[in-house]
Amino acid sequence: MTGLDEAWSVARLARAIKASVEADSAPVWVRGELVGVKRSPRGHWYFGLRDATAKVDCTIWQNVAAELRTPLEEGAEVFAFGRAGVWEERTALRFNVSRVLPAAAIGAQALAFERTKQALLADGLLDPGRKRPLPAFASRIAVVTSVSGAVVHDIITVAKRRWPSVELLVVNSAVQGEGAAAELVRALRIVGRLERIDCCIIGRGGGGKEDLAAFNDESVCRAIAASPVPVVSAVGHEVDVTLADLVADVRAATPSQAAEFALPDRREVAVRVGALRNGLERALRNLVVMRRARLERTRDRIGSALLAQTRAWDRRLFAARARLGPALAHAAARRRAALERLGAQLHALSPTAILARGYALARNAEGRVLRRRADFVAGQPFTLTVADGSVNARVEGS
Amino acid sequence: MTDSPSLGDDLRRLEEIVRRLEDDSLELETALALFEEGVARLKAAELRLTDAETRVRQVIDESARGDGALRVEPLDA
Repeated sequence: MTGLDEAWSVARLARAIKASVEADSAPVWVRGELVGVKRSPRGHWYFGLRDATAKVDCTIWQNVAAELRTPLEEGAEVFAFGRAGVWEERTALRFNVSRVLPAAAIGAQALAFERTKQALLADGLLDPGRKRPLPAFASRIAVVTSVSGAVVHDIITVAKRRWPSVELLVVNSAVQGEGAAAELVRALRIVGRLERIDCCIIGRGGGGKEDLAAFNDESVCRAIAASPVPVVSAVGHEVDVTLADLVADVRAATPSQAAEFALPDRREVAVRVGALRNGLERALRNLVVMRRARLERTRDRIGSALLAQTRAWDRRLFAARARLGPALAHAAARRRAALERLGAQLHALSPTAILARGYALARNAEGRVLRRRADFVAGQPFTLTVADGSVNARVEGS
Repeated sequence: MTDSPSLGDDLRRLEEIVRRLEDDSLELETALALFEEGVARLKAAELRLTDAETRVRQVIDESARGDGALRVEPLDA
């Protein structure tokens, strides 16, 4: 028994109760009936969850409520996911809900989806930090799909356009129906055994929602997570995100998009390579200048060794220049033409060209351009520039 | 067969070569060697951009668990 001088404050008691309740409360799914549904002006939801023998007060905080998809209807049977907590101000027990699913509409499949998702979350497999980037220049890509579907064809079409030198290694698997999940897991295991694979596309063509089950299967998701190479999912369903999409390193809406993500675009690479060629050509000209300068510095005391060295440099330069190819001359001509075009454009913009068309330019004694009436002060001198020269002038009136 | 990291490596190395060649204080001998390497890598990179047939092959494993011998066959798709 504690003495009165050691009496707790109410706040301390409230804190102790809160700490003790919240320390032991794990998030859980609860099934019950919604009663007393109210919405606060600040956007929080308050309601009770009830069954035959008990009732628990619940809260959905405003920041969570914004993502709520299920309308909260009085009397509706729901699944609510949340965690017990204590509202300090009144030391009242509250079940803080973060998700609500209507029990009536929810089938066994959706429940399984939630269970699997929670299991993947718990193991950190949906962690964004796990996502691996795709290699910049893939040359061997594994494709897990049904060879009877359109996926391989779609990927080839994109590859021909973007990066034709790619090699595709297809591992056949059913993608829907009985046994599809097991086949996908098996196919992913085979991909893991292939050598020098840059990434893996797993996907299917379009299809109905009921056909997505294999891509929500826990073993498939875990096989994707375990893949030694980055995985692009292409389940071909814009609306429903599957768990395979969430586990994959990159999610594509369609197999074609997956191929675009996985393959570089040769036009972009060509621009980069072209810039490097220009750089080397510039370097070639510098080398010629350098060699000449070196030669002049050593001319006076030229020995046979130096002469031989100079010849060796010449031979190497000549050979390398020859390998650089005739494009050098073409590139020079191209640049010259571009310069001429640019020159013509600059000329069209220059004031002299405008004056030639009959306009005149007025400037005051300081050379400032006089643009509007207010710039002209009565009696002030100014110069007027026309196409072939300037004349001195004076403002008569204003 | 093309090797995947080599194009990326070629481009990065080429960028480094071009950058180093812009340095006027470079020894002629070094500059020449860099230039020769650059031309070779440029040729390799340009080769990768030329038209090539996309190869499509199917990997087959007769085992139930996917841990048997792997066979690779052409695939008409």
